[in-house]
Amino acid sequence: MASGEPYFRHSLKVNDYLCKGCTTCMRACPTGAIRIRNGKAVVSDNKCVDCGECMQVCPHKAIYIKQDDFGRLFNYRYRVCLVPTTFIGQFEEKYNTKAIYSCLKRLGFTHIYEVEHEMSRMVQLYNMYMDDHPELTTFISPYCPAVTRLIQVRFPSLVDNVIHVRAPLELASRVITKRLMDEGASRPSIGVFYVTPCAAKIAAVKYPVSGKETYVSGVINMDFLYNKVLLMLHDSDKNAQPINHALTSRDVLWSLSGGEAPHFRGAHYAVDGLKNVLDFLEKLEDDAVDAPGLVEMRMCDQGCVGGVLSINNRFVARKRLEYRARLFERLERSKLRDTSGDDKTLTQEMIDVMTIPEIKPRSIFKLNDNFAEAFKMAERMKKIEKALPGVNCSACGAPSCAALAEDIVRGDAGIDTCIFINRHSQASEDAIRSIWGDRVKTKEINKNNQENN
Amino acid sequence: MHYTFNIERGNFTDAGQASSSVKRTLKQLGVDPANIKRTVVALFEAEINAVAHAYGGTIDVEIDGEKIVMVVADEGPGIPNLDLAMQEGWSTASAKVREMGYGAGMGLPNIKKNTDDLKIDTQVGVGTTVTMTVYLT
Repeated sequence: MASGEPYFRHSLKVNDYLCKGCTTCMRACPTGAIRIRNGKAVVSDNKCVDCGECMQVCPHKAIYIKQDDFGRLFNYRYRVCLVPTTFIGQFEEKYNTKAIYSCLKRLGFTHIYEVEHEMSRMVQLYNMYMDDHPELTTFISPYCPAVTRLIQVRFPSLVDNVIHVRAPLELASRVITKRLMDEGASRPSIGVFYVTPCAAKIAAVKYPVSGKETYVSGVINMDFLYNKVLLMLHDSDKNAQPINHALTSRDVLWSLSGGEAPHFRGAHYAVDGLKNVLDFLEKLEDDAVDAPGLVEMRMCDQGCVGGVLSINNRFVARKRLEYRARLFERLERSKLRDTSGDDKTLTQEMIDVMTIPEIKPRSIFKLNDNFAEAFKMAERMKKIEKALPGVNCSACGAPSCAALAEDIVRGDAGIDTCIFINRHSQASEDAIRSIWGDRVKTKEINKNNQENN
Repeated sequence: MHYTFNIERGNFTDAGQASSSVKRTLKQLGVDPANIKRTVVALFEAEINAVAHAYGGTIDVEIDGEKIVMVVADEGPGIPNLDLAMQEGWSTASAKVREMGYGAGMGLPNIKKNTDDLKIDTQVGVGTTVTMTVYLT
């Protein structure tokens, strides 16, 4: 990778035609990755963690997730739909999974595979990492890729606490590919398509933290597929089965916040939603919370049912999944549902595919690699911050006065972009002062400040 | 670079502002995460001590090219027996403070463990000044 090149690219895109430059996304971004330039939102590749918060808050629907062309499906002879249970949670309880899966088959898929089927192997992989690192007391689930990225850029000291294992969809795609190959299919004839509830999972497939090869051929946005399936559901033949053996009731709930807990012994914390995740990581970094055990984190409130591409209300989707889990549990108890069928052993080859040797920290705060230079910049930044009004109006195109101060010392912006400082007439000064009072600094302070530059 | 913060008696919920502000700067400087953690833990403990025992005070932090010096100065009862206070588990915290989850007697020992240099000036009935140094390189 050449220096200066972005670490990875993103699936979140801004539609310049729809973007009004309203600053809503910029203020919501947890890593300060967005600036307004030429009246449009611009996303920094190195800072963005694909959490989808910008898309969630955009009032103009100007942020979208680029998906693979659905037509690509037909480049393959074997077309596998890798479905997370979050997708099933979008549908009313009256539709059984077989009906939903028959619609997927009518759309062109030849096989259905449920991602959560790999959960028992994931548990073994998690436990392996935890057993290998007795020096750590707190472990963070690697399930939500946006959380892993967030830790890399904002909490670099915690990278080793993240269990170094790839996402379950990587294991599922590998298992199904291997299985079809064992049945005689050639690797290039197999297309595995994952149905995603969020942007982070797409980025994780396309630009993986592990740098390892993926068995996923493409990604389909959940909302797109939901619309197609819903139109067909009323006349579906209700008889399509997934290729995997039946999921357990616990597997069904894995993607929800708190869904990993029943699979592990020991203390457990379920943290969901951007604000809670940030708060918890901040405290964990300071040793201000004593949290021995497994911390499961979901960037979206309630877990994947709260993903940006999830269609129905997260609480409704959660309830629907819980309903299905209870139904499965009853069937399991009365031996009407057999979940023991498939081989759940973890082979050395699977371990090699799934483990990540290193999660690299890449701090977005560091001002310069050279300490002396960084020190000078930090000093200057502090002075500039003091001279700025602290109103965080975003009129300069940065999310806050602190962010503008940082942009200035990094050479990405000039101090005259601040409308409080750059006042040309008494009338404009009076107008701003009538709103903000004493926060409007005198011209003299501005002059001093410019000398400091 | 210099930072000053005020300490308010009994205000546990707002404590930690100084350490998060210092943490932000240390991250900008690219300081080793282990040193950031030591600094933040020591400063937070010292602040909590002052919040729990004193009537009020100030925190002064000075960062230069090689070290960070943190001075937590309070007006308060002072520490009558410093040797005892440095022992793990020794605490004079009130029942009320203990109920809030503090006062386990780990404050000063924890500060000592996390800093490279620790100086405590205390006068009974007047106050305590804790000076902590962490070398950054």
